[in-house]
Amino acid sequence: MRAGGDVTLYHWEPNANSGKPMLVLAEKGVPFNSHYLDLLSFDQHKPEYLKINPAGTIPAMTHGDRMLTESTAIMEYVEEAFDGPRLMPENPVDRWRVRWWMKFMDQWLAPSFSMLGWSIFIGPSVRERDPAELEAAIERIPMEERRVAWRKAIYNRFSAEELAESQRRCVIGTNMLEAELAKHQWLGSDEYSLADANGFNLAYAIPLGQPELANDEKTPHLMEWLRKIYERPATRQIWTLSRVQRMSSRLSALERKAG
Amino acid sequence: MATTLYHGEPNGPSLTVLAALAETGVAAELKPIDLARGERHSAGVPKNVEVEMSIEGEGPVLVVDGEAMADSVFIACYLDDVSEGARIRPADPLLRWEMMAWCRFVIERIAPAAAFLGTRAHLADQLAAMPEPEFAALDGAIACDDLRWRWEAVRTGAFPEARIAESTAKIVEGVKRIEAKLADGRDWLIGTFSIADLETFAWLTGMVELVPQAFADAPAASAWMARVAARPSVVAALGRAASDDPRKIWAPGPEINRWG
Repeated sequence: MRAGGDVTLYHWEPNANSGKPMLVLAEKGVPFNSHYLDLLSFDQHKPEYLKINPAGTIPAMTHGDRMLTESTAIMEYVEEAFDGPRLMPENPVDRWRVRWWMKFMDQWLAPSFSMLGWSIFIGPSVRERDPAELEAAIERIPMEERRVAWRKAIYNRFSAEELAESQRRCVIGTNMLEAELAKHQWLGSDEYSLADANGFNLAYAIPLGQPELANDEKTPHLMEWLRKIYERPATRQIWTLSRVQRMSSRLSALERKAG
Repeated sequence: MATTLYHGEPNGPSLTVLAALAETGVAAELKPIDLARGERHSAGVPKNVEVEMSIEGEGPVLVVDGEAMADSVFIACYLDDVSEGARIRPADPLLRWEMMAWCRFVIERIAPAAAFLGTRAHLADQLAAMPEPEFAALDGAIACDDLRWRWEAVRTGAFPEARIAESTAKIVEGVKRIEAKLADGRDWLIGTFSIADLETFAWLTGMVELVPQAFADAPAASAWMARVAARPSVVAALGRAASDDPRKIWAPGPEINRWG
């Protein structure tokens, strides 16, 4: 990644919310300084980062003296503030549809995938640490609702009903994506857009994580869409910034089989 | 271009879009529907996955050349895009970011709390009194399971005390944020008048009666509410009310964040 003059992105792995602005910056060809924060070591709640973003959320982006949070809103900012390939369709109805799908993914679908992901991966990974150190780390989280969420994940306090509801939504959402991707070349329009960058970060791990849900037989459009995005130079470029092998290995399901 | 808006009483998201139409001057045929009786799910309203699965809940539907659009903030962005008159988004990318991030806060924090408190105060009794066959028909027409569950919760009066307290706190917190935003003496939330003012006002105007303590010590927010209410677009939108007080007309809105 070329070092950026006045753009710095504070991010974790190039997936989920962190991956969204990373992918869009790379697609636009905007050079940026990558500042990796280890979510599993609670880097995002340490004093040096809270000086940048007092809310302690990731990602955050600085552009000169501007500090921006909220990954989807950052993507729209990057699209509008920098030159480079257009990542919002020209047609206003298509633009509406791109925004609708991003909100649906951000607020309905992604929280369900992340609840499952946290209960399976992040909770157990963090739980191995010293309990007193963990409790101190949780207490440093600035936003109360994030403290609640972290406690749930770390101590596995998701109820069976909550996990079942998340799984129900993952099934419905995956099928909705499949149906939508059959209508247009990309998500919501015939042009590669912010919705695709957003959606890839949400959906790239489904084929490996839930192979019975997403596979070449059941969801061919979803699979082809993920592979097409995975093959884009910008996607390859940002995944070189991954440091957690367990994350990057999930991309293997998107490699095209030889022959 | 044939443009039709199916809207409820001018409150919440229907108020946002009615006022946005008036601000931008985009011509549309207006078709009032009774959101509180589930008419959004009736055969007369065009549907697609975006209308049925809209996480806004019972919001307006804008149909342009057969394409049905849902979600008031994004409908308003569309109207701004096609407007040849006044703009309701700032021009500067940083201010546009601020507007979208602000609207996300309203959609995620204020709107679910307001819809919860509003339906509790103004829809629950009416729904509880509805004869079973009528409710079953309404309920059965709703495609999205979790939206249907929110209707059923209102009908059965499932309003846990903890949720009431939490929703009230979110309204109080929301008004505090507005007060802080206006502390530098600005007239509008994002500097120039924008969708952020409409969306925030539309969800909060019914809360003045239900959560008065939120506004008790918020002079700047109260003055801002009066400024938005005096906009000709808002006056025109409220003038379309079929009820005596549209601030008391509620239907199930966005869900309360499942992560707590």
